[in-house]
Amino acid sequence: MTDLMPPTKNKWWKHPDVKKTFIFWLIFTPAIGIFGTQFHVLSMPDPASEVMGGVIGLMRLFTWAASPVAALVFAICATAITSPRHYGDNPPADADHQISNSPRANALWIVISAVMCLFALVVGLIVLQKDGDALHEAGAINVNVTGQQWAWNYDYANGARSEVLYLPVDVPVIFHITSKDVKHSFWVVEMGIKMDANPGYTTEAAVTPNKIGVFNVRCAELCGLLHAYMQNKVHVVSKADYEKWLADRSALEARS
Amino acid sequence: MTTTLNHPAAAAGKSRTPIIERLNIVTAFALGAISAFVVWRLALQFLPADTEVRLFTREDKITLLSMIAWFVGFMTGIGALIAPFRWVMGKDLSHDENMFLAGKDMGIKRYFRYTTDHKVVGIQYLIITMVIFGIGGILAMLIRANLGTPEGGLIHPQAYNSIVGTHGIIMIVGTIIMVTGPIGNFIMPIMIGARDMAFPRLNALSFWLIVAAAIPLIWAQFIGGISTGWSAYNPLAGQAPLGMNGYIMFICIFALSTMVAGANITTTVVRMRAKGMTWNRTPIFIYGVVASVALALPAFPVFFLSQVMSGMDRALDTSFYNTAGGGSGWLYENLFWIMGHPEVYVILIPAVAALMEMAPVFTRRPLFSFNVAVMGIAGISGLSILVWAHHMYISGWAPLLNAPFMLTTELISIPTGMLFLVLVGTLWRGRLWMTMPTLSIFALLWNFMIGGITGIYLSDVPADAFLHGSMYVTAHFHYTLMGAGLTGALASLVYWFPKMTGRMFDKKLSWISFWMVQVGFNVTFGGMFIVGLQGQPRRVEAYAALFNRGNLITSIGAAVIMSGMLVLLYGVISSWRHGVVAPMNPWHAKTLEWTVANPIPLENFAVLPVVTSDPYGYGKEKK
Repeated sequence: MTDLMPPTKNKWWKHPDVKKTFIFWLIFTPAIGIFGTQFHVLSMPDPASEVMGGVIGLMRLFTWAASPVAALVFAICATAITSPRHYGDNPPADADHQISNSPRANALWIVISAVMCLFALVVGLIVLQKDGDALHEAGAINVNVTGQQWAWNYDYANGARSEVLYLPVDVPVIFHITSKDVKHSFWVVEMGIKMDANPGYTTEAAVTPNKIGVFNVRCAELCGLLHAYMQNKVHVVSKADYEKWLADRSALEARS
Repeated sequence: MTTTLNHPAAAAGKSRTPIIERLNIVTAFALGAISAFVVWRLALQFLPADTEVRLFTREDKITLLSMIAWFVGFMTGIGALIAPFRWVMGKDLSHDENMFLAGKDMGIKRYFRYTTDHKVVGIQYLIITMVIFGIGGILAMLIRANLGTPEGGLIHPQAYNSIVGTHGIIMIVGTIIMVTGPIGNFIMPIMIGARDMAFPRLNALSFWLIVAAAIPLIWAQFIGGISTGWSAYNPLAGQAPLGMNGYIMFICIFALSTMVAGANITTTVVRMRAKGMTWNRTPIFIYGVVASVALALPAFPVFFLSQVMSGMDRALDTSFYNTAGGGSGWLYENLFWIMGHPEVYVILIPAVAALMEMAPVFTRRPLFSFNVAVMGIAGISGLSILVWAHHMYISGWAPLLNAPFMLTTELISIPTGMLFLVLVGTLWRGRLWMTMPTLSIFALLWNFMIGGITGIYLSDVPADAFLHGSMYVTAHFHYTLMGAGLTGALASLVYWFPKMTGRMFDKKLSWISFWMVQVGFNVTFGGMFIVGLQGQPRRVEAYAALFNRGNLITSIGAAVIMSGMLVLLYGVISSWRHGVVAPMNPWHAKTLEWTVANPIPLENFAVLPVVTSDPYGYGKEKK
C-alpha cells in the first residue's frame, strides 16, 4: 500500500472529477449552512435569557463550521453518483483508477478534523465557563425548586411559596433544585437551562432572565404516570411587580 | 413433535431414543413453564409475609424466583446442560453426538434445537432479529398513533410509558444483534476460512439465551409493564410495578448471551483465521464484528450488575440506589451509561464495517486506506468507553467533570471522520454498480452525517443544557442507530442473502423498500428534530399544540417507514421461497465466503483455504 498518485506529470487538480467535486462543494457549503442555521433559528424559541442566546449562537456557529466538511462528503457522493452508473446483474469492468491509499489525503483529513474538534471544544469551554460563573453572581436571588410527582414547587427566601414561578427581569437568579420522590429535570425552555432534580441532593443552576413575558417550565426526565403534564409557567415581570407579588405571596403564606 | 432420527448411533441397536435427541424447543418451553409454575406455587406458599414498609417486596421475590426458575428450566429443556453434565461425569460427547448437535442431515428440525452449526445459529439469529424488529415497529406505530393528536389519550399513560420502554429496549437488543448475530455467525467464520466457531456449543448457547430472555419481557407486559423507559432509571424503577422484574431478568439473561457471544467471536477471529490471513489481509468487516463484540465484553457485565442491584433493591430491600438508605440514583446512571455508551458503538461499528466491506465490491476498486479504517474502528472503540458521563451533563452528579467528558466525546469525531474518509475515498472515481447496498452506502453517509453533526451539538455542555431530554436527542440517536446502523444491516441482508439462503434477493423489492424506508426515515426524524428544538420533552404522551405540526410530519413518515419495512419483509419471504437461484459468487467479490458452494456443506471447506492477498484487489491484474 503505497502512495498511488498517478506517476504521470498531470496535475491532480486538473482531473474533471476534482473540478466537479469542487463546484458541488461551492454550492453545498452555503446551502447546508443556510438551511442548517435557518432550521435551528426558526425552530428554537425566542431567547428569554443570555444563556439561551448563547446556545442559539453556538448552534449557528457549529452549523457553519460543519457545513464545509459535510459539503465535501456530499460533493464527493454527488460526483460519484453523477458519474456513469452501471445497472444490471453482472458487475461492470473494474475501475481504472486504483488509489488504495493516499497519505496526504489521510493526514490532511485527520489534521482538519482534529482542528475542528479543538475549535468546538474551546468554544464550548468558553461558554461553559461563563455559564458557570453565573452560579457565583453577587446580588442574585435564590429560589428553591422542589420537584415531586407531578408538580413543581418554588420557595423564596422570604418564606413565600408558589406553584408558579415569578422572576424579576434582569436580576440574576440561582435555583437550588431537589426532588421529593424520583428524578425529575427542571427545564426552563426559553431560558436554555436545565438541571436534574435528584431526591436527597440539591443541584444548582443560574440564569438571568432578560425579557418580560410568560415562559414554559417542563419536566425533561421521565418521572412516571403523568410526566407529560408536569409543566407550568414562569412569569418574568418588572422588578416592581416582582416585589409586589413577593410581598403579597409571603403575606398569604403568613396568614395560612 | 417426534424426535427419533436415523443416525448411526440410534440405528446401532439402542432401543430407547437418547435424551440428547428428545430435547428441542417444545421440551424447553414445557420444562421452563413447569418449573416456573412449581416455583411460583412454592414461593406463594412458603415465603413469609412482608413486615417492612415496602409494598411489593414479597411479590417481587415471587416474580423474580419464578422467572429464574423459567430460565433454568428452559435452558435445561433445550439441552444446554447435557454436554457440561457429561463432562463432569467424565464422558465427553461422542463424535456421532457432536454430529447430531451440529444438525447433520436433519433438515428443518435443526432450527428448533440446540444446534451448534454456525450457519444454523446465523439463520436463527436472522429470524429472531426480524421478529424483534416487527414487534418493536408495531410498538413504534402505537406510539405515533397516540401522538397523532396533542391530547394523546388513545392509550392509558401507564400502558403508553410501558410501550415506550419496551420499544426502546427491544429495539436496542434487536440492533445489537442485527449484524453480529445473523451475519457475524453465518458469514464471519466462512469469511475467515474456518469450519465453525471456536466454541460451537457456546454459539448455540448465546442464541437460546436470547429466546429464554424474551419470555420475562413478554411476561412483564402482563404484570404492569416497563413504565420507566428503556433506561429504567432508579429510583423510578424502584417504585415501578412488578413488570420491572421482567426487565431486570431480560437484561441479565441478554447480557449473559452477549458476553458468551463476545468471547466466542473474539476467540474465533483471533485463533481461527485461514493460513495466510494476516491482520493486513483480514477483511474490514471482521474488524467491525470483533470491535463490536469486544466492546460488549467490558460493557455488558456492568449492565448485568446494575440490574442485579436494581433487583436486590426491589426484592431484598437493599439500597444501592435509594438515597434514604445511603445509596444514590447517580450510581445507577453511571453503571447504566458505562454500558450505554459503548453499546451504541456495539450497534454502529459492524453496520458501518459491513458497508465498508461492500464499497469496494460495488465500486470495483480497492478499499481506500484500509489502515485508516482499522485505526478509525480502534479509535472509536477505545474512546467510547471514556465518554459515558456525557449522558449526565445536567444530572448534577459532577459538574466539574463536564469539561473532560466534553473533550473525550468530541475527540470521537476524529476516528468517526476516518470512517467517512474511507467510504468517500472508496467512492472516489470508482465504477458504480447500482444495487441496493450501493444506495445504502450513500444513505449511510447522508444519515450518519446528520446524526454526527447533531451529536456535536449534543456533546457541547451549554447546548446540551437546552437539548438534553428533548425529542432532539431521540431524533439524533435514531439517525445514528437506525439511519446508519439499520441501513447497514439491511444492506448486509441483501448482500449476503444469496449466500445465506441460496437465492437472490428480489432486486425491485429491495429498491422499493430502500426508498420508502429512507425517505420515510428522514421525514420522521426531520419532524422530530423540529419538535425537539421547539422544546418538546421525550417520552411524553401528550404535548402542547405548538408541537402539532412536527408531530404530524413524524407520524406520516413513520407510516411510510412501516410500509417500506413490510415491502422488505415480503421481499425476504418471497425471495427465500422462490427467488432466482444464486450463483456461487453473484457479486464477483473476493472474500472467502463467496468461494464455497451453495448450499454450503456442513463444515464449509473440504480443504481449508490459504490466503495470499487482501480481498480488495480489484483491477490489479490489468497492470
